[in-house]
Amino acid sequence: MINAIRAELIKMRSMPGVWVTFAIAFPLTVLICVAVLAGAGGFPGHTFYFVQTLRQRRMLLGAGYFAIEILAPIMGVLCVTGEYRHKTITTTLVLTPVRTRVLGAKVAVVALWSILIALLTLVAVAAVGLPWNAALGGVTSTVTDQVGAVVPGLVASAVLLGLFGLGFGTLVKNQVAAILIVIGGTLILESILIALARAIFHYDLNWLPNAAGAALAGDIARGFGGGGGGGERAFHLLTWWQGGLVMLLWGLVPLTIGYFTTFRRDVT
Amino acid sequence: MTAGAATRGLPVEFSGLTKHFGTVVAVDNLSFTVQPGRVTGFLGPNGSGKTTTLRMLLDLVHPSAGTATIGGRSYHDFENPSKIVGAVLEATSFHPARRARTHLRMVARAGGHDEKRADEVLQLVGLTEDAKRKVGGFSMGMRQRLELATALIGDPDVLILDEPSNGLDPQGIAWLRDFMRFFAGEGRTVLVSSHLLSEMAQTIDDAVIVSFGQLKAQGTLEEITSGVTGLVMRARTPEADRLCTVLTQAHIAFRRLGHDEVAMDAVRPEQVGPLLASNQIVLYELTQEGADLESVFLSLTAGLGFGQLAPRP
Repeated sequence: MINAIRAELIKMRSMPGVWVTFAIAFPLTVLICVAVLAGAGGFPGHTFYFVQTLRQRRMLLGAGYFAIEILAPIMGVLCVTGEYRHKTITTTLVLTPVRTRVLGAKVAVVALWSILIALLTLVAVAAVGLPWNAALGGVTSTVTDQVGAVVPGLVASAVLLGLFGLGFGTLVKNQVAAILIVIGGTLILESILIALARAIFHYDLNWLPNAAGAALAGDIARGFGGGGGGGERAFHLLTWWQGGLVMLLWGLVPLTIGYFTTFRRDVT
Repeated sequence: MTAGAATRGLPVEFSGLTKHFGTVVAVDNLSFTVQPGRVTGFLGPNGSGKTTTLRMLLDLVHPSAGTATIGGRSYHDFENPSKIVGAVLEATSFHPARRARTHLRMVARAGGHDEKRADEVLQLVGLTEDAKRKVGGFSMGMRQRLELATALIGDPDVLILDEPSNGLDPQGIAWLRDFMRFFAGEGRTVLVSSHLLSEMAQTIDDAVIVSFGQLKAQGTLEEITSGVTGLVMRARTPEADRLCTVLTQAHIAFRRLGHDEVAMDAVRPEQVGPLLASNQIVLYELTQEGADLESVFLSLTAGLGFGQLAPRP
């Protein structure tokens, strides 16, 4: 297993697509920091203001979540679909014929790289978000006090979203289709379904991937939890552990189905 | 082959191997053994099941029935198979953005070998100067060499090659031939599939011929070329017309090669000599020829897979 993991690490390091996700993670996080600081004030003459409420402070610290929810699943997809796209699956399985071992190594490596993406977003917050917040008059310690509340959920979300991408990549095999399903499904289709379910059935589809990830990540997730303005009732999120469990299922179910239906198939 | 080296190779055994793809029978009850210390050619027309058979051996394709083993063990059962078996399957299984050396480092890691092996095998296949180039820019021949380097990373006892000459230039083919001979000379096992029969005839010790997934012949090259269709007798005579009449009456197959030359198939001198003497046919020349690999192959496979050569109705 260790050998397979080492090989997968080299594969990931030598895939340009993976580095593109890293290159995007930093500026995307900075962009969200800008949005959080722009939305914090609302005082006349101030476009940006330092974060004040607990939710704003956590949102600044976890500004990387938006980058993570897009990039971690893409990385998971790339890790497995790249093997089929470039036919390297033949070499991989000749070197490691036990297919569960190959998939296990991919899970480990995607988890590791997802954690690295999460850490990179935290670096972006530390390098840009916090100094800027301090320059606007904010006290940095009031933000860093929330590390315990934000970072574990952020990192866990990254790992489970990476697993989610790996699961669908294993199931679908086609790289473009898998990325469209994972990203289009969570960012577009899920939003539409949630809105329709709320409007028609007054039901919160809080077990869909993004909503479950938001529950795990707590207050930092955009679009959920803080609703209720203008008389609209608040979106009912799962608890953090329920969200984590549901996210785990969103990764493991397609991974298991993909293993039995696709990954075990003949490589001709 | 040295006595010590003889312990390196392992026999490769196929027993009742069968593969169905839906209603298509790709491999049909195939049984044969590949011996260590010899280069065995695995020959057959396109679509005859060669690649499927090799992929079943390497556990990439699951057999519908039968077994394929290396030294009595299934490929799936080897903890680090690259130490036992090296396989060259297709020259396209590389990530184009990966550098040759990075690819081999990855392969070395997967097999539990020292990453220094990457440089050693690059040197072995003559790609040292291209080690830092991305594989996407490699020619077909260079990719074949890299695929061979991949197979050799664990210094294996058994080498499986599927059409390894594809894309190689004449120097590359000659190098590959020498390499396979050297490898088998160390007592190791080489199983090579190819459709380049003239090339194979210069390289292999044993041949296995398949058609429509079925075994048609197996043996040493000499056995195959002399024992399947038998020998060809070529006669030069001023009485070629009368000879043809005599052969027809004796139910011996023949071909008229020229105005004074006739070839008789699947006969031996002991049959032809007395027949010609009893009919008092004057001979200028009577020679015995063995069938070459290509003619044996075509007769066994009945030209299947080579539609352009099939007789017109």
